[in-house]
Amino acid sequence: MAESTIFLVEDNPDDAFLVSRIIGKVCSETIIVARDGEEATNLLQGMAADGSYRQIRLVLLDLKLPKINGIEVLQAIRNSDPLRDLPVAILTSSDNDTDQERCRVLGVLDYIFKPLTADRLQRVLSLTKDI
Amino acid sequence: MDENSAERGSMGPLPYDLSGIALLYVEDEADARSMVGKMLAMNYPKLKLHTADNGAVGLELYREHEPDIVMTDINMPVMDGIRMSREIKSINSEARIIAVTAHSDTSYLLNAIEIGIHYYVLKPINYEELFSIIDKILEQIVLKRLVGEQNRRIIESERQLSGAQRIAHLGSWQLDLTDGSMNWSDELYRICGVEPESTPAYYLTFLDRFLPEDREVIKKAIRDAVDDRQPVSALFCRIRRPDGSVRILRVEAEVILDGEGVPATMIGTSHDVTELKQAEEKIRTLTDELERRVIQRTSLLQASVRELESFSYFVSHDLRAPVARLEGFCRALAEECTNCSSAYCSVYAERAERVVRQIKHIIDAFNNLTHYAKCKLVLGEVDLSAVVRNIAAGFEQSEPQRQVEFVIADALLIRGDRGLLQIAMEHLIGNAWKFTSKKEWARIEFGYSDEGGMRVYFVRDNGAGFNMRYLDKLFKPFQTIHSPGEYTWNGTAIGLATVHSIVLRHGGKIWAEGEVDKGATFYFTLEPNPEPGNFIEHPPPA
Repeated sequence: MAESTIFLVEDNPDDAFLVSRIIGKVCSETIIVARDGEEATNLLQGMAADGSYRQIRLVLLDLKLPKINGIEVLQAIRNSDPLRDLPVAILTSSDNDTDQERCRVLGVLDYIFKPLTADRLQRVLSLTKDI
Repeated sequence: MDENSAERGSMGPLPYDLSGIALLYVEDEADARSMVGKMLAMNYPKLKLHTADNGAVGLELYREHEPDIVMTDINMPVMDGIRMSREIKSINSEARIIAVTAHSDTSYLLNAIEIGIHYYVLKPINYEELFSIIDKILEQIVLKRLVGEQNRRIIESERQLSGAQRIAHLGSWQLDLTDGSMNWSDELYRICGVEPESTPAYYLTFLDRFLPEDREVIKKAIRDAVDDRQPVSALFCRIRRPDGSVRILRVEAEVILDGEGVPATMIGTSHDVTELKQAEEKIRTLTDELERRVIQRTSLLQASVRELESFSYFVSHDLRAPVARLEGFCRALAEECTNCSSAYCSVYAERAERVVRQIKHIIDAFNNLTHYAKCKLVLGEVDLSAVVRNIAAGFEQSEPQRQVEFVIADALLIRGDRGLLQIAMEHLIGNAWKFTSKKEWARIEFGYSDEGGMRVYFVRDNGAGFNMRYLDKLFKPFQTIHSPGEYTWNGTAIGLATVHSIVLRHGGKIWAEGEVDKGATFYFTLEPNPEPGNFIEHPPPA
């Protein structure tokens, strides 16, 4: 796996479809979808171990997730030595001020209210480096 | 004896008030009667003088006037002085009688002593002697009067004290610490349910009145008071009356020391406070009941607020996700339809997208509304007049072409949450601004009136008004009473519901009056000291 990748954490298949569609319109990145927080952390740990995490250009993270929520996933990323600097953008439909503040403190590129638009994704990607 | 020698000379007038004292002078010799009468009148100008020329007339006058002093000749026609004196003494044994006797009358003297005539003056009268006798008698009379007066006062004040004790249900007592004998006031007997003086007053009989469990308490309090020479203060103890009823007494007492500093006596009061205590108990019961109800209502309120909270959480979180999803699909559809053969596809997709945006507006409005209903108030002084002036200025700037006269009452300072009140006034003034838009000349007034101790604020306009039939819809969220297109409508129909909620949070009420095409007036009140409470985060302790 050598291509540049977008790591999407989204439990809802419709949302996953809509985001994938926008990604497909904006760039040619490969998409990895994790369907809950636990799957996301497991996958990311595996990628950290084999070094493939370096291919991740952007993590698009939903907050409301089964098992492990988005904030916890973000914390796990920021606490992991190799993953620490991964660019993360939050995708959410809730306007919870507390969540927004916690994400800001943990460090995110953007905090996006659903639905994601092509323009918004383009802007976020412009903040990341090409892989 | 001439008149000069009869003057009182250096003796001076008697230092007593002689008014009301009378003297009866009985003498059959007219000259003597006239002479002595004059001398008496001169020396005792205040003395009331009656004269008679024999014992029978004298007795008659005595019966009529009951004079304090009788001065009588002995040997007289019709009735002699001795017989008259006997009669007078039988009427009033304390009558003071001066016998004016000639040496020849000595045969009467023994009788006179027997009758109780204590004073004698020999004829011819030595005035100095006579006046000294009268002075002595007057002195006795005046002293007796004074003593009588003092006695009356003492009796009166005792009567008052007893009356006061009776009215106040306050009994008093005195305890002789050497032998345990006591003195109870009449009221103390009555408090104990017995006739005054009907039972012997001893310390032991006093203690017997109390309920066994309280008896030890009062015994100990009195013992401690004597040991420490400290008063007994506000001790509440129960007694049982012979009829079985129980009374509550408030007992207070003080120790009195003898000359050597040893406790000798104790004086105390026993106040029957049964009714007072019963009233206190009733108030306590009522207060408890009220508190129980408040707690019950608060928990009901909390329950409904929690329900609202979970509902608003559902709207703001759970509902947002599918709505955002729907918006995403609408946009995708619109994008994919740009090259579609059917012209309607993209139009419908765009319309659908617009509907979704409306839904999102409503969700936001709803969330704001629930936020106002449950957020914590930040209380401070708010100049409502200044708030309204700023809002008015904002509207005037936004549409400078409109002619709107604002009339705003000055310096309406209130206590409340500035942010929330600002929002409420924006809605009220905003409504007035909007619904006067079709008037050539518009007038919007913010004022107040004081009605029955309550300040009522109002916002009045001369705009479209409303039909009072729709009054109950006015303050409900998402209800409108104007048809679409009548007025520029970019709100979500929660303005007045928001105002209602904010006024409620400030402990006030809101109501409205209107007439179609004449205008509307919105009235509201505000509690001077609103509760800041946040129902959810700080529930009151159950």
